[in-house]
Amino acid sequence: MLDLAIRDLEVRFPGLDQPVLAISELALPAGSQVALTGPSGSGKTTFINVVTGLEPASSGHVAWRGTDLEALSESRRDRWRAANVGLVMQDFHLFPGLSAIDNVLLPQRLARLRRLPALTEEARRLLTRVGILRHGQPVETMSRGQMQRVAVARALVARPGVIVADEPTASLDAEAGTAVADLLIELVSEAGATLIVASHDPRFVGRLGRVLRLDGGRLLH
Amino acid sequence: MFQFIAADLKRHWIGVAVIVLIVALATALGVAVTLQERALRLGSARAAEAFDLVVGAPGSDTQLVLSSVFLQAAPLPLMPGAVFADLSQDPRVAWAAPIGFGDFVDGDPIVGTTEALLKGLGGVTEGRGFASLGEAVVGALDARQIGDSFHPMHGTVGSQGEVHTGITYRVVGRMAPTGTPWDRAVLVPIQAVWMAHHHHHDDDEHENEADASAGADTGAPALNAAAADQPAERGFGEGSAPHAQDDDDHDDAPADLRAPIDEAAVTDPHAPGLPAILVKPQSFADAYKLRQAYRGDRTLAVFPGEVLTRLYGTLGDVRRILSWVAAGAQGLVAAAILLVVMVHVMQRRRQIGALRAFGAPRRAVFGIVWVEAFAIIGLGVVVGFGLGYAGARVASGVFTASSGISLPVTFLASDASSLVVLFVLTGLIAVIPAALAYRQSPASALRGG
Repeated sequence: MLDLAIRDLEVRFPGLDQPVLAISELALPAGSQVALTGPSGSGKTTFINVVTGLEPASSGHVAWRGTDLEALSESRRDRWRAANVGLVMQDFHLFPGLSAIDNVLLPQRLARLRRLPALTEEARRLLTRVGILRHGQPVETMSRGQMQRVAVARALVARPGVIVADEPTASLDAEAGTAVADLLIELVSEAGATLIVASHDPRFVGRLGRVLRLDGGRLLH
Repeated sequence: MFQFIAADLKRHWIGVAVIVLIVALATALGVAVTLQERALRLGSARAAEAFDLVVGAPGSDTQLVLSSVFLQAAPLPLMPGAVFADLSQDPRVAWAAPIGFGDFVDGDPIVGTTEALLKGLGGVTEGRGFASLGEAVVGALDARQIGDSFHPMHGTVGSQGEVHTGITYRVVGRMAPTGTPWDRAVLVPIQAVWMAHHHHHDDDEHENEADASAGADTGAPALNAAAADQPAERGFGEGSAPHAQDDDDHDDAPADLRAPIDEAAVTDPHAPGLPAILVKPQSFADAYKLRQAYRGDRTLAVFPGEVLTRLYGTLGDVRRILSWVAAGAQGLVAAAILLVVMVHVMQRRRQIGALRAFGAPRRAVFGIVWVEAFAIIGLGVVVGFGLGYAGARVASGVFTASSGISLPVTFLASDASSLVVLFVLTGLIAVIPAALAYRQSPASALRGG
């Protein structure tokens, strides 16, 4: 439910003449659902890193409902991200040795000192919702599709205002990919959160309200 | 957080176990050196406790203590028999006992002495003291049982000596444990030792001195002959030097072994020479006076405790060197572990990056890596203390079995503080990988995958 406003954004890497990402102006209203496409190397991952505060911009502003990420320290960006962003990655990044429910709750447990029973309840609801019925199953015994569904539940558990997914279906087979795409769109719509998906997958590109095309670090209109 | 750490350690348990083992071995090395050195110091000091004052012929005081307290075989010069007569009449002396060496049985030393020493070393716990010449009392750790008989061997431990076949001792008692090499010794009447080493010096020119009648009174006239040789004699135990020259002279006749012990023979001024006399002074002040009085050109009086203190000075240097070696090994291990942990953190960049990307604060990442490193190294330190203690116990056991000196392996209060210091060091070392993880950018960590 956050709106995004980007102004004069530039990300440069040392040794490269051209900025890897340069966006003079972009505004996404709260609750919008956006697909981000472009050939590899076009700046999709950098875009995601910058709007989630994982990586600072070289210059410019990235503001979510008035909070300018570029003005925050690294620790405060971490805190902001923990409270406001749910991430889904191409290769899941689940933690082996822990059960599905513990994986869903781990980031929140690390971010807060107290355990919140409400969070545990929400985690169970989401896991059941994404079709993981054995909440105590260790993640390393799951199929890739199941793993990504656990990751979707993890992204949503703290009810963030923004969900960002980086190629969430690229490493799944067609059937599992469809299930994950459906779940992601459904659950984000239910939560009313803003959704940004970097993907070439037509299951996203066709169904999301807006498509942003990146090429050479610039947005094509 | 701890759940995550536990899962992580479990997943890498082989690597964790190897690091714990390396840390444990390095720690154990240092702990064992410290404990063993302390045990040696305490053990030998306790062994010397029963020996207030030792009197011998002039020579090396260290050798006198090693031979009398620790029963280390070495040739000692002899002092005239009259010294013992003087000492036993001295009012400053509570009791005095002769110590005569020379024979062995199955590698255990046979010590000739008197009833006074049996009492002075803690008494006989089993059986009784010796009453006749052919009776023996064994130390607490000796394998022989009461009723067993044996022939003494002449010579040194390990070398094939000559068996005094004519002499048979029968074990009649067992000493209380003393924690000293005397626990492995066999105690026999000193008169019997003299007899075993009695030489056919009857034709000796000294035989017919004025005191011949006194010699006759002892019931062992031959002893006087040996006494006459004394000042010139140097040998392993009394009478062994001439003995080497005329082996045939051994009196193998099983003569008067059943005869009761003649106490007067020992205090006779013309008794054979003795390598050492153990003296129990009446008081502290008497001890110093006696040492003064018996420090001359005829005799040497030493406090074994004092001689040992000087030996520890040397031992202390050895310990310092060993400690340096141990510290060097520990330093190397610390460096190696640091390397392993750093490599481990680098390999886990993705995982650490993911943790932060999903919302874990930097301090949580720092905490996780710190706790993991601390747990692994700390566990190694604790296991190492256990291993070091066990190692020192084993080493002490082996030493006790071979020497009879019990080496008490004990922790002191100061060990607790060195444990705390080690833990603090561990905590500091663990900061390095934790800081490394803390500084990683989550984005580059994820991309690096």
